[in-house]
Amino acid sequence: MKILCEAGLQVCAVNSGPRIDPDVDYRGHRQVYDLKYRGYGDPVRLKGKAHQEPYSVEESEYSEGRDLFEHDVAYSNAPGTDWYWKRCKATGGKANFWGRSSARFGDIDFKAADLDGFGENWPVDYAEIAPWFSKAERYMGVASTIQNRPSNPDGEYLPPIPLRCIDYIIQKGSEKIGVPYLPDRCAQLTVAHNEHPACHYCGNCSRGCDVGSFFSPTWFTIPEAEATKNLTLLTNALVRSVLVDVNGRARGVAYVDRKSKREVEVYGKVVVLAASCVETAHIMLNSKSRHWPTGIANSSGELGKNLCEHLYGNPGYGYLPQLLGQPATPDNIADSTVAWMPRWQNVKNPHEEKFIRGYSVYMGGGCGDFPGYYGQLEGFGSKFKRDIKRYYPTTIGALIQAPTLPSPNNYVDIDPEKKDIFGIPQLRFHFQWGQNELLMWEHSKQVMIDLFKAMGGELWGAGEEPDRPGTSLHETGVCRFGNDPKRYVTNKWAQTHDVPNLYICDASIFPNCTDKTTTMPIVAFTMRTCDHMLDNFKKSVHVRA
Amino acid sequence: MGGQGVERREILRYIGIAAVAASFPGFSKWVFACPMDHPPSPAAPAPANSYQPLFFSAQQFRMVEHFAEMIIPEDDTPGARQAGVAEFIDFMVANRVPVSGSRDIRSTADAIAAGSELQTRFLAGLDWMNARSQSEFQKAFLDCTPDQQNSLVEELAYKTKFTPTTESGRAFFQLIRDYTVVGYYTTKIGLQSLGYPGLRQVWPKMPGCPHPDDPEHLKLREPSSSDSATQTHS
Repeated sequence: MKILCEAGLQVCAVNSGPRIDPDVDYRGHRQVYDLKYRGYGDPVRLKGKAHQEPYSVEESEYSEGRDLFEHDVAYSNAPGTDWYWKRCKATGGKANFWGRSSARFGDIDFKAADLDGFGENWPVDYAEIAPWFSKAERYMGVASTIQNRPSNPDGEYLPPIPLRCIDYIIQKGSEKIGVPYLPDRCAQLTVAHNEHPACHYCGNCSRGCDVGSFFSPTWFTIPEAEATKNLTLLTNALVRSVLVDVNGRARGVAYVDRKSKREVEVYGKVVVLAASCVETAHIMLNSKSRHWPTGIANSSGELGKNLCEHLYGNPGYGYLPQLLGQPATPDNIADSTVAWMPRWQNVKNPHEEKFIRGYSVYMGGGCGDFPGYYGQLEGFGSKFKRDIKRYYPTTIGALIQAPTLPSPNNYVDIDPEKKDIFGIPQLRFHFQWGQNELLMWEHSKQVMIDLFKAMGGELWGAGEEPDRPGTSLHETGVCRFGNDPKRYVTNKWAQTHDVPNLYICDASIFPNCTDKTTTMPIVAFTMRTCDHMLDNFKKSVHVRA
Repeated sequence: MGGQGVERREILRYIGIAAVAASFPGFSKWVFACPMDHPPSPAAPAPANSYQPLFFSAQQFRMVEHFAEMIIPEDDTPGARQAGVAEFIDFMVANRVPVSGSRDIRSTADAIAAGSELQTRFLAGLDWMNARSQSEFQKAFLDCTPDQQNSLVEELAYKTKFTPTTESGRAFFQLIRDYTVVGYYTTKIGLQSLGYPGLRQVWPKMPGCPHPDDPEHLKLREPSSSDSATQTHS
């Protein structure tokens, strides 16, 4: 949007929800004791809404009833599926509240099929994408170090977030069991960057930054696009379908105005869908016409297929006795991952483990804002109270990020019966964890047992089950890119094979997920797609309005 | 474009809770996930005498207040009473806000059901305590001596002192302990007692570990914990 506006195109951005105003919508440094329900919120606040599950920590009593998250549009789960679909409908969507881990994908990801024989390679390789990762990193600002990891290509980095006591201890323990524990690639401004201020470490990133010290559309792309005067930003405009002309080309979109409930059409020479992966597929599946009876640009039949996601879960938690009774340290003022365990499995040999591919692990802990570990401490009275303080700097926990493999059983389609309150046919999820990712989950639990032993920690336990599918918000697939129009929805430029003036700029084009998060790669691939589209304008493949 | 990773963030922020939630029925996601349409309430609790309980009777409220102070007493830092924990418990129970419980809350109906169940459990639990003190000491709980009260709570709080037939009392103790801990450590008093760094909202930089020359932290010595070690209940 920013790139297209800056190139002089007239852009109409059709956004599902309201505009975010950080002064009003973000928490403004309030403390939990300033809130009536101490952060728990009014339990009946979503009464009568079609979708009553909260988004995540971002949607909390801190957001004071602001209407940023989707509760009006319901979705369906097929029998046996328990997908948790969290949607931010406000301008910029989930990228306003993201976790900021920004590792590059590498050829170990793009060419994984060559290595282990499963699935298919991506239609791009690292040499082709590396310059775009650099552009994205320079634009966003990513803090990390050069690490020379085979699984994680290095990029262009701001100074890293310093290691904490817990990180040093975990790092020494990890060394002993042959697991890397290194600074994460964290898109957080440890120094001022491109006129965005350095982080002030208030620790509230997840509730939206009040000054724009990490990349978000609200602070970066939207104001820059607006400054060109080429942007028309529509809000509370829920897109239901892509409109086509007599030749089956895209000619615009139809949206429902959430306030008036009226249907409105917007026309354009090129349509770009960036609705956050599965919603992009939802819109396309609902864009049925004479030309596209099963959804626009779906001649391959692959639209909605190959839904992937990160398996999340807590494979181990406990405490570090070395730190018992130490004074509180500001461990979580960056509100961020500081260091992580980048994928180390199946790196030298793609079949060294019982599973293929690999996972990464984030570690967190130290002095936080609530002593949630108190359940581990017995008793009551002064001793109990002193124990809570004594353990305050010591507790740590892990989070596995394990990629699912594409499976014919995991996909989205349109619910044949149910419609949402705007009359739009609902999206339906079909998803189960596969054996490969469950093997990773079991593997990570053993790693935690070994790690706690190696670093002299005490393991309290581990999650019994992985988190519900959908938890990570890292869905990929459903509009995969590839060179063969019979098997892929878009080409390697994220332009749909069937409809050359329809582009996709979100993670739905990624054929599978990796052990890395998706936001920075989405930015990089979007920059590349925009560049290609501008080229197509120059070549008159597309004509300006 | 879609941004990702919030759940990771959530877990890192609340790693203690995320960690413990697996084994301990104290928290669910709902905890961090409920906006409100009301202005923040005044931070300072009303003096105990003038407080009109919303849910509990005056007698029950005194008992809740006494329990909370037994769980988190005043010592070198203020206790539950000064932090207004009983008012918090009364407010949360009255509004059916599930602070404790293992229920999977996915809808308003789930939340109301969980909150209603907690109301029932609180009332039944207070009755159970009085019945227990009657059978042990022929007095209502609040009329027992501090030693008698301690012995009644100890048999609910410490595994080594568990006795048969007190299962429901133990469940009640866990419940009121959950509410007390949450009520205390979500106040400024409670967070200050921990030295919570987030009370400060602007830092020039993140300082990182103060002992990088001792990465394994083997040379650290635990500060003496002789201070206020007098009134222990263990």
